[in-house]
Formats: sequence, C-alpha cells, structure tokens
Amino acid sequence: MERFDVAVIGGGLLGCFAARNLCRWDASVLLLEAREDVCTGISRANSAIIYPGYDHKPGTLKASMTVRGNEAFGRLCEELDVPFSRCGSLMLSYGPKADAVLRLKYDRGLQSAVPGLSLVSGREAEAMEPCLTPGVSSALYAPSAGTVNPWELCIAACENALQNGAQLSLNTSVLSIRPEQDGYRLITTQGDFFARAIVNCAGMQADQVQRLIFPCDVSIHPTSGDYLILDRDAGLHPSHIIQVEPEDGGKGLNAVPTVEGSLLLGPSERENGIDWSVSEAGLSFVRRFAGQVFPGFSEEHIIRSFAALRPNPQRPDGSSIGTFVIEHPAPGFRSLIGVKTPGLTCADQLGIYLAGETAADLRLSPNPDFFPGRSGIPRMKRLGFDARCKAVRQNPDFGELLCRCEGITRGEVLEAIHRGAVTLDGLKHRLGAGMGPCQGARCRQKLIPILAEALGISEEAVTQSGGDSLVYGGADGTL
Amino acid sequence: MEHCELLIIGSGAAGMSAAAAAWKAGVRDLVLVDGASAPGGILRQCSHRGFGRAVFGSEITGPEYASFLLSGLQNTGVRLLTETEVLSVTGNRRALLSSRTGLRELGFQRLILAAGCRERSIGSLPVTGTRPSGVFTAGQAQELLNLRHRLPGREILILGSGDLGMIMAAGLQEAGAHVIAVAEQEDHYGGLARNYHRFLEPSGIPLLLRTTVTELYGSGRLTGVLLRQLDTGAQTHIPCDTLVTVVGLIPDRTLVSGLGSPDWLSFAGNCHHVHELVDSAVAEAASVGRLAASALAASKHDPDIFPEVRGLYR
Repeated sequence: MERFDVAVIGGGLLGCFAARNLCRWDASVLLLEAREDVCTGISRANSAIIYPGYDHKPGTLKASMTVRGNEAFGRLCEELDVPFSRCGSLMLSYGPKADAVLRLKYDRGLQSAVPGLSLVSGREAEAMEPCLTPGVSSALYAPSAGTVNPWELCIAACENALQNGAQLSLNTSVLSIRPEQDGYRLITTQGDFFARAIVNCAGMQADQVQRLIFPCDVSIHPTSGDYLILDRDAGLHPSHIIQVEPEDGGKGLNAVPTVEGSLLLGPSERENGIDWSVSEAGLSFVRRFAGQVFPGFSEEHIIRSFAALRPNPQRPDGSSIGTFVIEHPAPGFRSLIGVKTPGLTCADQLGIYLAGETAADLRLSPNPDFFPGRSGIPRMKRLGFDARCKAVRQNPDFGELLCRCEGITRGEVLEAIHRGAVTLDGLKHRLGAGMGPCQGARCRQKLIPILAEALGISEEAVTQSGGDSLVYGGADGTL
Repeated sequence: MEHCELLIIGSGAAGMSAAAAAWKAGVRDLVLVDGASAPGGILRQCSHRGFGRAVFGSEITGPEYASFLLSGLQNTGVRLLTETEVLSVTGNRRALLSSRTGLRELGFQRLILAAGCRERSIGSLPVTGTRPSGVFTAGQAQELLNLRHRLPGREILILGSGDLGMIMAAGLQEAGAHVIAVAEQEDHYGGLARNYHRFLEPSGIPLLLRTTVTELYGSGRLTGVLLRQLDTGAQTHIPCDTLVTVVGLIPDRTLVSGLGSPDWLSFAGNCHHVHELVDSAVAEAASVGRLAASALAASKHDPDIFPEVRGLYR
C-alpha cells in the first residue's frame, strides 16, 4: 500500500489548488480524481469571474478571502502562465431599488477594502460601455474585477502540483475510508492508499465523502444555471464585465468578455438536483435578459448553451449556509463542502489555508524547494512573427494549423496530449479546440486520429468526455 | 518578403475557377493557397453524382468535378500551395502563411477570398437537454463516410432537409446505418426537387415536416432526441445514437473581418453567398477572377489613375 502524508480527494479547482499549496510544505501529496481528467466536475462550468469582493458581508471569511484572492490573482496567473484579464466590472441599476442595492454593496466594498470601487452615474456608465441599453440610473464600478479561463487555471494548478512532486491518480473513486494508526486508509477503485491526512475537495460529492468515515451535518443541495456563449464576431464587445442588479430584486445577469474573446451570458437559476441539462426556461431567461441589456444582442451569434451546477450547502433544517464550509471532524481530516461563488476567485487562497492547517496538524516544515511557476503550452497565436518562425523551424508540427477558429497547431495538440489530455474535452480545456465559432465542426475530425494515435487506441475508442461518450460509432459495433 | 499580384485563398471549386479565369485574362503572378492536402475543397467529399449539368451537360461526381477544374490550371503558371493555412490578412495587403515548412509573409496586390462556408452548429439552436457526443454536422458526417469510410453511428436522425441532409440520409442508409427520419421545420423539404426525387424519396426515409429537435438526451453518447411538431405542439421522444444537423451555412470571411471593404478584396463562390449549384459558384468565381485581372491590368497602365479619377468627383 502506497503511503502519503496527505491525500486530496477531487481534481477540481479546489483540489488542484489544495494539492499545489500542500507542496509548499515538506509533504508527499496524492491527488485523487474519479474521472479521466482533472477539471471535469462542477469546476468545468461557471461564470469565469474573479470577483472584487463587495458582495459579501464585511469581516466574513468569504469577503476577506475574495478581496485577498482578487488582489493576488495577477501574480498567481503570472506564476501559472495563464491569461488573466483584469477588465473591471460595472454593476448596473435601472431604478431606485437597485440603486439602493448598489449603494449597500458599495459601502460593503469600502469596509472590505475593495480597491478603486466607485459609484458612477448612469450617464458615465453608458459612456464607459456604449453597447448598453440607455436608461442606466447608476452603476457600481469595480476596476479590480477580472476574468480567467477556469479550465486553464485548474489544469495549471494541477501541473504545478505535479512538478513539485505531487502524484495524480485518475479514474480513482474513493469507495471507503477507514481510520488507521496515525492516519487513514482510502479504499479506491485503483487499490488502497494510506494517508496521514485527508483534504476532501470532492465537489458535489464532498458531503458523501465525509460521511464515508465521519458524520456530516452539512448537505449539498445542487441547483443549476444555464449560460449562452456569443462568438467573437457578434459585434457585442463590452470592455468590462457587465452585471445587472434587477429592479424587482430577482436574479441578475452577468455578461463576461472572456479571455478568448467570446461573450459569456448567464446564469439562470433553477432547482433540479444534479442535472447537467440545459432548460428551456433558463435559456429563455438569459436570452430575454441579454436582449434587454444589450440592444445589439442577436441570437444569430449564439454558438453554444450549457448548464453549470452549484453545490449549495444546507444545514439539517434545510436552511442555506452563506459562508464557506470548512469541516474539520477529526485531526488530519478537512472537507470543503458546498463551495460555490466566489470559489474560483478564492481557490488558491482556500488551498493555502487548507495546506497550512493540515501542515500544522502533521507538524510539517516548509518545503524550501517549492517552485510556484509553471509554463503553459506554447501557444503559437500568442507569439510574434520571429518567435513563431523559430518554433516552426524547431518543430514543423507548430506550422500545421488544425483549428482555424482558435489558431491551434498539431504541435500544440501533441503537447496537450503529452500533458494529460485523453479526450476531446481534454483538448478543449487545454487549448480551446472546439470553443470557437464552428464549435469543432472543422477541427474535431482532425483531432480524433491524433488522439487515437498518441494514446495507442482506435479512433472508435476516442471519447468526448470519457465514459460512454464515444465520438464515432458503428464501425466496430461499439454502439 | 515574397510578393504576388493576385492571391486566392481557398482552392475549392470557386478558387480554382477564379484562378483559371484570372490566368486566362492575363494575370501571370498568381498564388492559390489551401490548408488541405489537395485542391478541391468540399467537392472532394461529395462522392455522389449530380454535379456539372450546366457546365458539362452531364452529371459527374465531386472529385471528378475537382479534377476537371484542376486540369484547367495545368500548363499555367498558377502557384498552388497546399497544406498551407493563411493565418491572417492585414490592411497593408499582406497575408501570413503557415505550413510545416515554415511561416512566411506574402504581399499581394489583390485578394480573392474563396474560403467557402462553415456549417452552423447545434450550439446555435435553442436546443435544451444535455450536451452528449454523437452530434455531427452534415459536412462532418459526409467527410467521415466518404473519405474515411466510417459511420457516425447506427441509429441516426437528421435535422434539416437541405440538399446535404437529403443526400446524407440516403448515403448513410446505403452504408448500413438506420436513418430514422429527416426532420424539417418548414412545410416543404429544403433542398432541390431533383435531390429530393433522387435521394430522399426512393430511400423511403420519412420526411417529418414542420418538425424540429428541441431536446437532447444522454450523459455520454446521445441516447435520444425530443421532436416537436410545430403546428400541433406534439412531442415525440425518438431513441437514437446520432444526430446529423443541416441547419445553415455561414460564408466564412473570418480572415478579413475587421478590414472593411478595401477595393483590392473580392469574394468568390460560397464565401460570397451560398450557391445551390457548384456550376453557378464556378461561373461567378470565373467572373470575379476576370474582374480581378482587369483591375490589375488597369492599375498597371497607370497605378495612380484611381485616386486621380476619384479626385474628379470630390
């Protein structure tokens, strides 16, 4: 049985950042992920916003961690070589009730020391964003807000953890956990592991994972929300994240100009258990709302709709919990349960906190060799002419363009596979293949043979996202 | 930096036709560039007969049509660059080309964009449900079937009765798949009557008019779709493992978006507008090629004449 100081359960944003930060300590770290790749659970779909921190009650862990996480985000993305756009956000009001909400958020933001926050007039907001429907009554401007690609960030954190010696075990579901002398035995689908401490970041299953060995009063109550993506030719390019505080107090809307150049609109909200389905009501809500906020919104430019899940934490009486829930039922066992917005903003901060607490439990000393940097896949589209010429000279694969929408070459695809992509989604998450206007119509069938050859499997065995999501079907009777 | 008089992007039917016409009209410094390994564009995967009635008076296959157009370029000095993608085009008339042999800039005097269309994807439709694998555009399914000899799946529903939808319905059935139906939201099939009578009608595959797909099922691979009859609102769950979509073509002008309409740029073929027949795309592209040639000739006589003429009318 392999022995580790710490086992992290769950390869989503929280688990990958917990593993990364545990490597700051002199610890052997095991990261367990149930699926074929990291970032395949609830981390894979969200608003991609790095929040400024004015939404939460001053003095709470959520407020202070969001402000701190936001402030550190630029450096974090530099370390991890992930594109980050600190584009700022404008929260809009179209009436007196929403004006009052913005003033409250502004006051909260000041108390939480959110940098640069200001209330601007409707006219100023419309001048900052000419694409808005006129009639804005006031807006809350937060220059520190930003956006990042959550997939790239999560995968970068995982790669950094692995560089620093952490071990990743994929396709590994934890079946049971037993207490042992000085630690725990994890019985998994890939055999048994011993760990002196456990950090449970199992996302939607985090409550169930804790219940494998300890009671858990907090339960996860999933809800979902629908999003739309507009292509970059939509002619609708707000330069800030636009958020709308509705006058009727209902659900607002985010419009995020992503680092890829598309516009992400959503989410709606509905109760439906663990269901990745997009709903008709949700889509209509987002479309209607987007049309109200942006007169230039055209349904013709929609290239995709998708659903995201939120793991809402609840007490036994069914009441919801507003703070981050960090359970600590026994020495060396910690669970993050029901972390939703602003989990992306706080992922590294939560990881630092969990790693520090676990290190104290185990009396670990700091790791002097920890290296915080990681280099991303060399992206040809981000290189200048000379650097790109040099790259192609060194490796002709970088000259062979496979995806026109996102400018991806064979060399980049091979590097993504080398770094762990085993599915089409794995390529999408690492390179953006299939995210552009054609949604993979032109590149998908070029990627499949490359994946098959590199993985040593038949093209018929290539999947979109693991499991039974086979892309082809029929030729060898697999369907 | 290399230069040419006329650059044509895309060596499909329109690109080859424009190149041949421009050469015939006197352009001697002409580059035809394509990302694929051979010229022909979408014709290469259209292995059914039914092309060229207007031009040849008989019906030939797509690859035959492509060979014919390519033969028109033989014994010319048109420089054909395959496996070469154009990464960008800038307003100062330079194209950035990428291939396995390297990156290079190519200056040009005129540009004809003949990059064809891209297919609208399922993501653009208000379809609810999950996002499973097993959803193909008709072009993907056609490439898979005709060039790679693979089936996209076994139990197939086709959404959209444009020409490609009807042709693929018959083609997939012939290849051994079970094509359950072709759904069409309008009250009449979308493609040409002759394609209906030649492909869909004899196949016996049901054509469901005023019907569309509203929901997808399946957490991994597609397991079924929900069909809605638009007049009655009746909904039917159809188990299937594959959905092939024919929901629209969009002229692909991404390379020149943001450049406005400079006088050195023209469009040919489906990149200009979507043609029903290859013959008409070829004819239109030939005239675009000739016009480019005369514009180049005019600028050769007196490169400064145009600003001068414009000045007369200011």
